[in-house]
Amino acid sequence: MRGLVSTARVSWYAIVSGANDYWSIFTLKSWIFGWCVRMISQVSFFALIGKLLRSDEQTQFFLIGNAVMIAVMGALFAMNMTTSERGNGTLSLMLASPSRPVVVFASRGIYVMADGVFSSLLGLAILGPAFGLHFPFPRVLLVIPLTALVGFSAYSFSTFLAGVIIRRREMTGLIVNATIVTLMALCGVNVPVSFYPSWLAWISRCLPITNGLEAIRGVVGDVSWSTVGAHAGVEIVVAGAWLLLALGTFGRFIRAGQRDGSLEYAS
Amino acid sequence: MIRAFLAGARIQLQFLRAYPDALIPFFTAPMFSVIFLMIFRHAGRTDLTAYAAIAPVFIALWWLALFNSGWTITIERWNGTLEMLVAAPSSFAAVILGRITATTMVGIVSFGETWLVARLLFGTRITIYHTWGFLATALVTLAAMAGTAVAMSSLFVLARNAVTFSNSASYPFYVLGGILVPVSVLPHWIRPVSSVVFLSWSADLLRAALRPGPMHHFAFRLGMVALLGACGLVVGVWTMRVILVRVRGSGELGTT
Repeated sequence: MRGLVSTARVSWYAIVSGANDYWSIFTLKSWIFGWCVRMISQVSFFALIGKLLRSDEQTQFFLIGNAVMIAVMGALFAMNMTTSERGNGTLSLMLASPSRPVVVFASRGIYVMADGVFSSLLGLAILGPAFGLHFPFPRVLLVIPLTALVGFSAYSFSTFLAGVIIRRREMTGLIVNATIVTLMALCGVNVPVSFYPSWLAWISRCLPITNGLEAIRGVVGDVSWSTVGAHAGVEIVVAGAWLLLALGTFGRFIRAGQRDGSLEYAS
Repeated sequence: MIRAFLAGARIQLQFLRAYPDALIPFFTAPMFSVIFLMIFRHAGRTDLTAYAAIAPVFIALWWLALFNSGWTITIERWNGTLEMLVAAPSSFAAVILGRITATTMVGIVSFGETWLVARLLFGTRITIYHTWGFLATALVTLAAMAGTAVAMSSLFVLARNAVTFSNSASYPFYVLGGILVPVSVLPHWIRPVSSVVFLSWSADLLRAALRPGPMHHFAFRLGMVALLGACGLVVGVWTMRVILVRVRGSGELGTT
């Protein structure tokens, strides 16, 4: 019990520290005119492909998929935490402390994920009506927790990848960007999963996003509750699996780095 | 002048080899190609393959301009090498232009990558119907991209929110530049803004070069790409001079 309280305290301080970092990067003005404009443009860029194809159905498919992708991007940006710890010169202190590094890493980036989820929902709320998307009320409210679930699932995946690349932190930018476009291609964001060959569809189902996104499409598209529930259930399992993998491997990656000297402590 | 330009280009190629982040567009461009080709194939619109072949190239080139070339002067400043560069007898502008041109030229790789992905994964052959039109447009586009990057690299030194701008200025320009969805599909009110973004002229021309029909008003449209690129270059060089005069006068070269 004492250990749990201690972990919760470490986690809370990491979240607060992360939030402070975040608001030193963004002011409200730069968030609106920088990030928000980019997010709206990104979702519009893909939704406009539907207009090019002259298909309302495709427009809505791209709109929902790419709006949810914003939440995923937020979660994946959290991987940059590993690099910033080194840049700030705090990595050595963190590793020397008695608390588990994975708790700090997993908590520090939560604000980025939360911002991604909020941005995703904001994008959907602004661009949905603009592109003629009908939101069935009140069931559309379920999109909120489902988007949060997708964000959490991607965040668990991101924390696992952060462990993998902790010894190769100069590659963080490359991995973050490559992962974003790969998930965009493989997770049914722009084409339905049924379009993929069956082996690829299986891989897709094991990745974050795919199942949660189908649940969200189901909610907006008036699909039966049982189908939505099944997709959401699989996403919970996938998120849990990536989280367990992250918790189980993060310490090993760090210890391996400490042993072979590949873990640099400063930029 | 030429020697300074080539020295700038050479050092930039070494930087690109040393920093993995510089390779980001060469990983993302083929993936974007896959995404766009999947979309058009799923929609049964293989006639739009040219669109899928061109857009990832612009994404790669714009990324290089924003994140590599755009930060050239700022990074010199952060590294503490700006003072030496300015004090050297060779032309500061020539070195910077050499570095930016080298980065932009490397972007040509994305043409090959994107089209190779189309061929290998989707069995799609990209046919260039107007070879000279295509080559001329590609060349002028690269020059315009370098000119725009010079403007960015100078303005980023002055702008307090340069990081936010470079992180945010990708998709807005992809939409305005009509790199995948032509400007004619955008709402009417936004089209005048698109017409001053050189990407919109060059994306239209490159797509036209991959279609069998004639390329209408080729000279005028190519001229617009060149003109808008030259405007970027003029703004960049002028801003660079303003910066140097200001920091030399105030003695704040390393801290501005």
